[in-house]
Amino acid sequence: MILRALVLRPILREPLRTTLTILGIAVGVAVVVAIALSNQSALRAFSESVDAVAGRANYQIVSDVAFSEDVLRALQPFWPRGVRFAPVIDAEGIVEPSQQPIRLLGVDLLSDLHFRDYRYASVVTSGKESAATYLSLFGNDSVVLPATFAHDHGLHLGSPLILNIHGVRRTMIVRGLLEARGPATAFNGAIVIADIAVVQAAFGLEGRITRIDLIVPDVSLIPAIQRVVPASARLERPSRRNERVEKMLRAFRVNLFALAGVALLVGMFLVYNTVLISILRRGKDVGVLKTLGTSASQVFAAFLIEGLVFGAVGSVAGIALGRGLAWVILRLIGRTINALYVNSTPEAIELTPGIIAAGIAVGTILSLLSAIQPSIEAAQLRPSLLLSGAVWRRQPTRPDQAPASSPHRAQIAVAIVCFVIAVLLSRLPAWNGIAVAGYAAVLFVVAGFSALAALIVTGASRLLRAPYRSAFGIVGELASASIPASLRRTSIASAALSLAIGMMVAVALMVGSFRETVRVWVDQTVSSDLWLRPAKGLSNADSALFPNAISADLAKIPFIAAFDRARGRGVLYNDDRVLLASGDFAVAARFGDLPMIAPGKSSEALGNAIARNGVVVSESFSLKYSKGVGDDIALTTIHGRRSFPITGVYRDYSNDRGVVAMDRGLFIRSFDDDAISTVVIYLKPGIDRDTARRSLESTLGPKYHAFAVTNGEIRGEVMKIFDQTFLITYALLAVAIVVAVLGVINTLAALILERKRELALLRVLGMTVAQVRRMLVLESSVLGLTSTAAGLAMGYVLSWILIYVINKQSFGWTIAFHTPVRLIATSLAVTFVASLIAGLVPSRLARRIDLAMAMKAE
Amino acid sequence: MRIRLDHVTHAYAGSDESAAVQVLGDISLDIASGDFAVLMGASGSGKSTLLNLIGAVDKPTAGRIFLDDSETSLLDDSRLTMLRRRSIGYIFQFFNLIPTLNVFENVAFPLSLANAPRSEVKSRVAEALTSVGLGNRATHYPNELSGGEMQRAAIARAVVHNPPLILADEPTGNLDSKNGEMILDLIRSIHKSRRPTIVMATHSERAAGYGDYVIEVADGRVTPNPRSATPVSPTPETRNPTPAT
Repeated sequence: MILRALVLRPILREPLRTTLTILGIAVGVAVVVAIALSNQSALRAFSESVDAVAGRANYQIVSDVAFSEDVLRALQPFWPRGVRFAPVIDAEGIVEPSQQPIRLLGVDLLSDLHFRDYRYASVVTSGKESAATYLSLFGNDSVVLPATFAHDHGLHLGSPLILNIHGVRRTMIVRGLLEARGPATAFNGAIVIADIAVVQAAFGLEGRITRIDLIVPDVSLIPAIQRVVPASARLERPSRRNERVEKMLRAFRVNLFALAGVALLVGMFLVYNTVLISILRRGKDVGVLKTLGTSASQVFAAFLIEGLVFGAVGSVAGIALGRGLAWVILRLIGRTINALYVNSTPEAIELTPGIIAAGIAVGTILSLLSAIQPSIEAAQLRPSLLLSGAVWRRQPTRPDQAPASSPHRAQIAVAIVCFVIAVLLSRLPAWNGIAVAGYAAVLFVVAGFSALAALIVTGASRLLRAPYRSAFGIVGELASASIPASLRRTSIASAALSLAIGMMVAVALMVGSFRETVRVWVDQTVSSDLWLRPAKGLSNADSALFPNAISADLAKIPFIAAFDRARGRGVLYNDDRVLLASGDFAVAARFGDLPMIAPGKSSEALGNAIARNGVVVSESFSLKYSKGVGDDIALTTIHGRRSFPITGVYRDYSNDRGVVAMDRGLFIRSFDDDAISTVVIYLKPGIDRDTARRSLESTLGPKYHAFAVTNGEIRGEVMKIFDQTFLITYALLAVAIVVAVLGVINTLAALILERKRELALLRVLGMTVAQVRRMLVLESSVLGLTSTAAGLAMGYVLSWILIYVINKQSFGWTIAFHTPVRLIATSLAVTFVASLIAGLVPSRLARRIDLAMAMKAE
Repeated sequence: MRIRLDHVTHAYAGSDESAAVQVLGDISLDIASGDFAVLMGASGSGKSTLLNLIGAVDKPTAGRIFLDDSETSLLDDSRLTMLRRRSIGYIFQFFNLIPTLNVFENVAFPLSLANAPRSEVKSRVAEALTSVGLGNRATHYPNELSGGEMQRAAIARAVVHNPPLILADEPTGNLDSKNGEMILDLIRSIHKSRRPTIVMATHSERAAGYGDYVIEVADGRVTPNPRSATPVSPTPETRNPTPAT
């Protein structure tokens, strides 16, 4: 009965407010669910591919470079002890001319059945049903494809397929099609399988393999196996790769969840506000029920259940909404993950019981938490106070009233404590690569500003009173006076809106600063005239390569002053995957301008690297591993572990995992890899870029499938990838703003319902409906202006933490502070207009007030 | 301002026609300009509804209402608003001051709505506040005033724009007897000095004695026709607490 009287009936009787609150929670939950779903999908795609390719192997001997297959002989003694092993060549490449990235898996098709399930859909046969049926698969140009891939690309048995693997182009023939199971499902079916001997012969890998898959029945054999592993390789479980990828993406994922958290936090404010407003509006009913004998705990439980109902319904709606949102996010973050981390085609979105449970838990628990404080307040108040309506009555603030009254002093004190804690937290180092203290500092800054919300609303309304009076007359004066009069309701709405605006400003500042920094960096680093690439885009840079033979052809071209051949690959350092880059340092020292941190001149760092067989490392590497000029780093080369002195640290924003760069000569000697991913070309003075470009493409295009791009195009491409990467950030913040605006609509609607009598009085005294509506919109403009101002201030503080603490600890990038004035001005204008619109929606309620009834009710 | 009601009926709508509650039935009234009429009746008799109909706050279900020559039941919402703004002053039982404005601003409210010049607002509000004895409380907010002070401020607001009609709904209903008497004296003196038409609803016989005559309201009807109502003496000394017959 109590529940029906205090909660259920009012919820049903106020459909607008109920819907707005549920929508607010739903949107918050949807964002979290969507990010969890899309992360899961992106990661699952990768890990399932790894699992499908690894098959039944429980250990692998892997290396960053191809190693001699002699190790197979060393493994023979383990065969009688139940150990099974299979050599594998696992290489990335592209299909030409479509430039579709593809994975080439070279396996021993006969012995590999221990490890992987192959089910042939069809093969080229000699027409006889015998073992010889499959012999065609071992032909020196034979490859096997998943039937789905063949279908999608118009291939069938006997079709030629041009593969470019490590810069070597070969035309292979499709001689078998696989059903979609086992390895045929890896990388979304973009995989080509061939006999290992065929791969070795076709792509210049004779006598070498990249991996050995093992089935080890007894773990006690591991130390013995470890002893036969070559120096350039390591023995590990297949799951280690997934763990490394997971770790690599962790900071990125945490950042996304933190942003989703903003939407949820704003949603929490909304629930808090809704429950508080419910209590304010039903104060007298609570008083009556208490007078009739309802206990404090029953009142507490009733309002807590209200929070629970909102949370549960909002969560369920949020999960459904989140599934749709995940689809959009997946497209956005999929591109980022591919561009910055690993190649992986995200799989279909699967709503797992875990995610459903997490979504419901997040929504309901946070709603419950938000409802606790106002519920306690309602439970503890004396019935006489509630009945008289003396509590929470609209209290005017005097324009001349001193702000530092005792509740204000307490709020200021709380805010100061929060800010001090935030400062201390922002000085703490990262924990496990995650800027935990930085995120906590953000929370404390938000808490500090929220504590000041009431003071800010009062102060801003006071400041606005005179200008509003002069601009809008009595309507403006009433509007500016009205907001602080309902401080308990309005300050929470304002805090929520400030938080959303603050985060938006902070991220806009962070992204704007980052963008400007990257732009300056790109302008400095991309100083060459042309880039010659084996593929058009940047995103499949690792898959498409030139053979070293192109060097000789380039040397013959008369208009080229110099060229720098770049090649990068992933290597393990401290069990993390970092990027090992190489280039012609002598050319880079003479023609390029690498932005250095130490020493000051890039020519000095690069010259020393050549002279001492050393490396230069990126800033993120230097910060992550605390290594600088003068230190040594050890890398596993084909000759085993080798130490390289660091001769320079340079700025790099292309990679947050860390980059180690060495001269091409040293790279080839150390990793036996002379392929080229990009040729950076410097033209002789007076040579026209477009003419040179056309000439290069006509000379080298047919032979190497080479594309020449100008530095302007490269810069444009980099900035395009940058903007795509941060699209999701803006999308998430827009959601937070939507939730906050819902909060403002909710609050204003509640205020109107609560002030029916006051509004009716204004109408009786001669205010027109239009004037009342104008007043309500002006009230929301007071909230909008207040929140915008507070949000702007909060945004600057938060951006400082984002740029100098979280970003630095998560990604190791130094960013120069830059205010993107236009972006911020536009964002603020949009949110301010949104807050005005938030006033328009409930102001329609004013028209429906029945004057006689409202005046009658007391 | 002359007030005429011609066979006015008013009912509050129910969930269906049969559930509609008739509050006033077939009322005809004629209150001459400058009269101080008292609507008297028990709680729930319909006097507040009648006052709302006269004050253009509500519209009758049937019948016609005239304020001077204007038939208010035919006016649209914006004209009714203008009528209330310019021609009517309200005094309520629960004072109904705007909590977010101070006393000066509350009193100035009708003038502000009419966009009166600032200097005029200042002088007229000061005059109105002085006339109700609140000259020294101009900067106080409603929650800083006593009940009597709040009602005096409400009276100042009702008269500041010099309306030809003042409606008072139980103006002493929320006050002690001493303050109640002070308020009634004030209303009486306003009537004497400015000669607006005043219609006051009350259930108090004592308060009814302050009017020129009494219109009794019972069960949604007025008895008898007020034009034949017994006028009472306009002077406090000769107040006649006896209800008119």
